[in-house]
Amino acid sequence: MNNSEVGPTTVKEPDVDSAVDTDRPWIVLVWNDPINLMSYVTLVLQKLFGYSLEKATALMLDVHHKGRAVVSNGTRERAELDVYRLHEHGLWATMQREDA
Amino acid sequence: MARKHKGPIRALAKNEYALLLEGSDKEALIGLLDQLRDSLMSGSTDENLKRLFPTAYHQDPKHDEEYQRLMRDDLLASRLQSLGVATSVLARESVDNMTVLTSQELDEFARSINNLRLVLGTMLDIDESDIDVDLDEDDPNDQRLALYGYLGWLLDWAVTAQLDEYS
Repeated sequence: MNNSEVGPTTVKEPDVDSAVDTDRPWIVLVWNDPINLMSYVTLVLQKLFGYSLEKATALMLDVHHKGRAVVSNGTRERAELDVYRLHEHGLWATMQREDA
Repeated sequence: MARKHKGPIRALAKNEYALLLEGSDKEALIGLLDQLRDSLMSGSTDENLKRLFPTAYHQDPKHDEEYQRLMRDDLLASRLQSLGVATSVLARESVDNMTVLTSQELDEFARSINNLRLVLGTMLDIDESDIDVDLDEDDPNDQRLALYGYLGWLLDWAVTAQLDEYS
């Protein structure tokens, strides 16, 4: 990239909100839905996060009985990647700040 | 310990699985996968496809819009890739109706079957009370429910076949 072509008028001020976001943990939630098989949800959680069968099953049951479960946490970038991979596998996943 | 399998999908060895389906079943599945691929490639805004492109930021529409702008094309490409793999597996030459596939191919096959279930389930407005209902084979809606049940049966066997790999 040639920085010499960038004039003063094109310099962006730091996005304060985004800067704060990077320092605050995010959580990834999987939500209950009537379509995905319980066995499939368990397998996806094992496959994507390396969880044991016991942990993946417990999370799946939380999803089923409580309506949702936190399946991972971390930086915003990490959470976006996890959400994307869960979406690839057809799970209904969203993300939010941990303290939201 | 290896599990006993008598379903349409079973593990043969590490990274090797068998898919056992009649030719008519494979042709029907290819037809369904082709329909889904055509819908996705046409850029259809069909509401029945909405579960294939879920919200990521459920509390923040502005960030979600940005996320969708950046990731939707990748998700679409991933879905098309899986559909292509699943179709090629089903079209592959088989011996005694048995097709051999790799772990990666089984993963893509399972995701594609699940994609079909997500669309069909949305179309049927499925809820958990729809499981194990008596079906009227002359009712078009019940025919779709039967197909939905068949896809669930197939997906469940795809999961069962992979259990040893992740346990």
